[in-house]
Amino acid sequence: MIPVGEEGRGRALTEFLAKLLELGVVDAMVVPVMPVPGVITYLMAKDAELIRQRAEPFAPVMPVNGASPVARAVSKRPQGRIGALLKPCEIRALVELVKLKQAEADNLFVIGIDCVGTVDREEYKDAYSDLDNLSFRDACKVCLNPNPPDTAFPGINIGHIGLSDSRGLLVSLSPGLDPGIAGIIEELGFERGDALAGMRLAALAVLKEERNSKYQEFLEKARAELNGEGIEGVAKLLAACIGCRNCRVACPVCYCRECIFDGDVFEYETRQVLARAGKKGGLKLPGETLLYHLTRMNHMSLSCVACGMCEEACPVDIKLFPLFAGVARRTQGLLQYVPGRSQEDQLPFTTFREDELEPR
Amino acid sequence: MVLPVSPCAWGVPRIGRGGTEMEASVDFEPKIVAFLCNWCTYTGADLAGVSRIQYPSNVRPIRVMCSGSVDPMYIVKALLDGADGVLVGGCHAGDCHYVSGNYKARRRLAVLREVLDELGISSERVWFKFISASEGALFAETIREMVDSLKVLGPNPAKAVWFT
Repeated sequence: MIPVGEEGRGRALTEFLAKLLELGVVDAMVVPVMPVPGVITYLMAKDAELIRQRAEPFAPVMPVNGASPVARAVSKRPQGRIGALLKPCEIRALVELVKLKQAEADNLFVIGIDCVGTVDREEYKDAYSDLDNLSFRDACKVCLNPNPPDTAFPGINIGHIGLSDSRGLLVSLSPGLDPGIAGIIEELGFERGDALAGMRLAALAVLKEERNSKYQEFLEKARAELNGEGIEGVAKLLAACIGCRNCRVACPVCYCRECIFDGDVFEYETRQVLARAGKKGGLKLPGETLLYHLTRMNHMSLSCVACGMCEEACPVDIKLFPLFAGVARRTQGLLQYVPGRSQEDQLPFTTFREDELEPR
Repeated sequence: MVLPVSPCAWGVPRIGRGGTEMEASVDFEPKIVAFLCNWCTYTGADLAGVSRIQYPSNVRPIRVMCSGSVDPMYIVKALLDGADGVLVGGCHAGDCHYVSGNYKARRRLAVLREVLDELGISSERVWFKFISASEGALFAETIREMVDSLKVLGPNPAKAVWFT
């Protein structure tokens, strides 16, 4: 347990992170920081002082799912040991990226932190000093994983759910952690936090229960909005799409460097466009809206970690999260796959069982 | 014979005739796009031909090297553009020329069905069959069954939705 003093838990955690860097537990540390008022971004810190001055480890905002920038920064000819303070959905996305061979995990030291939710980034900018009136993003309101996975990466988990601001922060070391590193961390002289750990687990159970019922309700509502109208119902929900592909860019697991929708597969000759328009009387432009979104669902829904960044990125406010979350629940349920749980679980599309599904 | 029916259930809107009145022919002939694996089902379809087995001419075959190479994207595209049915044909379990392409296709197709069903789009228009090179009769039978089933389902409603 990290004791929390009068300056609050943000200060206590910042100091802890800075020490990890100073003591050489990590060679660099990725943390959320506030470079200008109201704006949160990530910093790969080499200087512990920069962490002390700028880190915002508890800022309830996710400018980008951190898995993507961290994966990019540490995967090309990796060296050293890189720490990264990440939220549960960021860690789960990072696990998926490792399995998709888009991230090199060997030199990562992940510091997972409980997250009860994040708010819209614009709203945060306007009200970052007084967050009481803000509500969480939809994806966070129904998030079933407010705690980081236990064994996804070597590192530390920081627990605080159910503990009031002044009580302390729980630190747990991952099982596979190098004993030398574990020794250094233990020398920081923590108190045992068994009582607090019990409180956290109880609070976590209550929170998950509550979230689960909200999640079911949320997805039922999303299904109802399709009105059983089939393709037309889906087309109506996506009618405003301008084809900017921001959802794909914001999606941490949609990893192709060159997406098929950016190539010339769907670049038609005028005669083809006219023929297609002729068949239906006309054609929406920009086109291939449903094809694009349904293709993303087919390709990526198994790895969807439900972070909701697709919806956050949409400039025309399409409610993408309920669509993706509903589809992902079904496809992941079908193949009994839990994205982000462990690096050991195989990606469902890379494997198969002989005695499953139809036809046989 | 021509029957007026409710919008979106049948056929294409008749533009320039006022309103959204639809017309549908009871002699509806479904169009089936079939992705057939080179090593088994395509050869099976060929055998049906050389054996002079009669089957409906509703199918438009596309030869692919393996059912595992059929990205669900192309199935979705066919459905959105108004194909009444899509058939994917692969080798029998254990017989894939590339060892396991058909098993992987089976997973992709199963996931595609879940996606479609969750969004309220009928996945009954998508068929996946294992048909070997020697099963010309099975290929013909499959097409007959599929045509019958699609006639019951009616034309693909996507034909009338232009804002996809």
